[in-house]
Amino acid sequence: MQHEDPRNGESDHRSSKKPKLSSKFITESDIRDEFSHHHPRVARINNGSFGSCPGSVLTAQRHLQLQFLRQPDAFYFNTLRDGITASRKIIKDFINADHVDEVSLVDNATTAAAIVLQRIGRSFAEGKFQKNDTVLMLHCAFQAVKKSIQAYVTRAGGSVIEVRLPFPVNSEEEIISEFKKSIEEGKSNGRKIRLAIIDHITSMPSLVIPVKELVRICRAEGIEQVFVDAAHAIGSVKVDVKEVGADFYVSNLHKWFFCPPSVAFLYCKKSTSSSDLHHPVVSHEYGNGLPVESAWIGTRDYSSQLVVPAVLEFVNRFEGGIDGIMKRNHDEVVKMGKMLVESWGTNLGSPPEMSAAMIMVGLPSRLCLNSEEDAVTLRSHLRDRYEVEVPIFHQVSKDGEEGVRDKDGFITGYLRMGKCAKCFIRNEEAVMKVGAAFHGINICVLPSF
Amino acid sequence: MNTTSASAAATPQPFFITPAEVFSEFSHHHPSVARINNGGLGCCPSSLISSQRQIQLQWLRQPDEFFFNQLQPGMLRSRNVIKDLINADHVDEVSIVDNASTAISIVLQHMAWGFAEGKFHSGDATVMFHCAYGAVKKSVEAYFVRAGGYVIEVPLPFPVNSDDEILQEFRQALEKAKQNGRSVRLAIIDHVTFMPTVVMPVKQLVSICREAGIDHVFIDAAHGIGCVDVDMKQIGADFYTSNLHKWLFCPPSAAFLYCRKSNQSSALHHPVVTHQYGNGLATESSWIGTRDYSAQLVVPKILEFVNRFEGGIDGIKRRNHDAVVDMGEMLAKAWGTHLGCPPHMCSSMVMVGLPACLHVSSDQDSSKLRTYLRGKFGVEVSIYYRPPKDGEVGPLTGYARISYQVYNKLLLLLLWFIDISGKYLSLLQPKATTLPLSH
Repeated sequence: MQHEDPRNGESDHRSSKKPKLSSKFITESDIRDEFSHHHPRVARINNGSFGSCPGSVLTAQRHLQLQFLRQPDAFYFNTLRDGITASRKIIKDFINADHVDEVSLVDNATTAAAIVLQRIGRSFAEGKFQKNDTVLMLHCAFQAVKKSIQAYVTRAGGSVIEVRLPFPVNSEEEIISEFKKSIEEGKSNGRKIRLAIIDHITSMPSLVIPVKELVRICRAEGIEQVFVDAAHAIGSVKVDVKEVGADFYVSNLHKWFFCPPSVAFLYCKKSTSSSDLHHPVVSHEYGNGLPVESAWIGTRDYSSQLVVPAVLEFVNRFEGGIDGIMKRNHDEVVKMGKMLVESWGTNLGSPPEMSAAMIMVGLPSRLCLNSEEDAVTLRSHLRDRYEVEVPIFHQVSKDGEEGVRDKDGFITGYLRMGKCAKCFIRNEEAVMKVGAAFHGINICVLPSF
Repeated sequence: MNTTSASAAATPQPFFITPAEVFSEFSHHHPSVARINNGGLGCCPSSLISSQRQIQLQWLRQPDEFFFNQLQPGMLRSRNVIKDLINADHVDEVSIVDNASTAISIVLQHMAWGFAEGKFHSGDATVMFHCAYGAVKKSVEAYFVRAGGYVIEVPLPFPVNSDDEILQEFRQALEKAKQNGRSVRLAIIDHVTFMPTVVMPVKQLVSICREAGIDHVFIDAAHGIGCVDVDMKQIGADFYTSNLHKWLFCPPSAAFLYCRKSNQSSALHHPVVTHQYGNGLATESSWIGTRDYSAQLVVPKILEFVNRFEGGIDGIKRRNHDAVVDMGEMLAKAWGTHLGCPPHMCSSMVMVGLPACLHVSSDQDSSKLRTYLRGKFGVEVSIYYRPPKDGEVGPLTGYARISYQVYNKLLLLLLWFIDISGKYLSLLQPKATTLPLSH
């Protein structure tokens, strides 16, 4: 499948959100072909972790890799920069950013977090922030983000406020209420909150967070800057950076947007401070703005960043384009989740409107999942024995609080089911496979967990 | 491959790789480009590209399984191969990163923390050669200078005739720093400078640093492995980085950063922080979020490739060096110019003086000439502008940096180059006011 050659000038990316009017959409058989490189027997319902990439995009990527190897200097001088700019323009349109200068391409959300937090660290070192100035984050923030805060904020003398999100959760109001409480608490100690880090879709447990409202609250409370970690967002929920209103917004393109590993965009709203963001790997482009710095961080393989036009062609083969994919993924994962919940007599971790393409499904209490280690063991067991790939979450019960129960006891574990259009096995089959796996695990006797 | 060192790994083979096989391994190179700039972006043979592709497909097939079961052991294997190649003591001293630029950022970020945490003081210095790579200079600006440090630049004499000329300049710079009461916290020394390219007497330079009490010595050997001899114990630096994609046939891109075990070495961190933070730089570097690690995982296969050549990587280095020096000397003779340094200070690259009538008078001229050679003659070669010094009469101001790698064919290149230079020079006769450089 030919991809758009970025050297052939801009195509009309304003139409990127609208699918081509085509009488022929991609068929199920086409989809199977596109993902024929996936392990044929594994029920791969963990798209959220590492994503997936169709064959046609991989072919386009390979073409770019060979172009580089064929004549690397010419590629560097004539193709690379324009290609990355073309990808950035597509993303800018997709996310409703004002200007392509606000869009940088980086490896992944982890890199973006390091960029934003390294700047916070510098602000402490250079005396712009005072000891104990604070960064606020959700307690279930991605582990890499937490470590990045430790590496750049805590080490530099800053402090951290964690917002404890309720789970299972019944409404957005529960989240908003906790968020407001934590800000109050932070401010009551006289601390200045320099940065709030808010997930758009949390990783574990997975929930869609009401980011627009939370960003509004941050502004009202005088929090200087807001960074939305939307690693899972693009291709999963609608992304409109102007509507969300954050200063920084990052999303991986390889999770739900069919890019090869790996590439992410970091949106930085134009402001006086955005010019002081730098890529931590410094090259001769240092000082020319983050997008330009990020487009050359030394010799490496940039093909996953160059292949975005081919991805656009792919998604537009689906009815409704990316919007159609998102809606169908959501509907199907909710359906799959409900099937399991009904079969096991458990619960969903959130109402359907707070999930996107992933949903948390309560596991039968008879599994007696009592620790993080149990969750890891169960996951490995499901992979090795039953060829089911699904992450497991251990729900820590709060002291003095009654958790959710099924007929046998408290529900302490959830699986995170992710649905992507390319799921090789149909919904019902996947559900059956998962159901059979858990039935096969002799849950009457609790073995090595 | 279970071998202990590169040279020992060159198990005698009855049949070494043939020229036809070499040609086939690099058949993806543009057939009508004379590619004599291997030092720029390196090269990768087809068999390694295939191996890399296998790894990529394994990931794509079942990424979770790959992440949990294969990635870390694979990275450890790669690190062990490198540890043996470079004669490091322990695999913990070897981290794999994308490229030398990443490595320098890691070391310099560590220095910046030194300032922030009061270990270093405003005005403490780093010393480096003036011809250090552009990205390195920028990294020094971003991390070291921004944190309050001072930069001492040592001029590199060029053309240069002996190691002593370089050592002399270095000693003088350190002496001056001492007289000015500056603490030199870090020395950044190239093993093989990139432009103009010269092999530096690193072992002696490191000794001078130790005598002068410099805290840390970092060797930027972007061109090191596969190009010159790389022996960590012999060189004795604290940090040493080299790209694997330039001269060791790795796909883009991979590099190693060696950090000698010390109290300090555990305090280095990869700037992209993950859940591995605090587990040592080597472990941190082997997971910096979801990305394609295949170029770093394919390292064990590199040994298989280089050992198909007589003498393994040492044989390749020696032959590359001899060929590029031969080529350089023939061109210098044909053009009536000279080499930028004596053969023993060349690696697999050589600086050949360009005829004065080309009037390379600025960096822009050298870029234009390079573009012109690529576009008009299909020659890929880096051009260097050497500014004249005060008092010099008729110095050469332009040099070509010629690289030689296994896929180059010496005789063909020479004939071609001489033919091109003949055509090129004839364009300038009689001397034109508008030079081809302006095209």
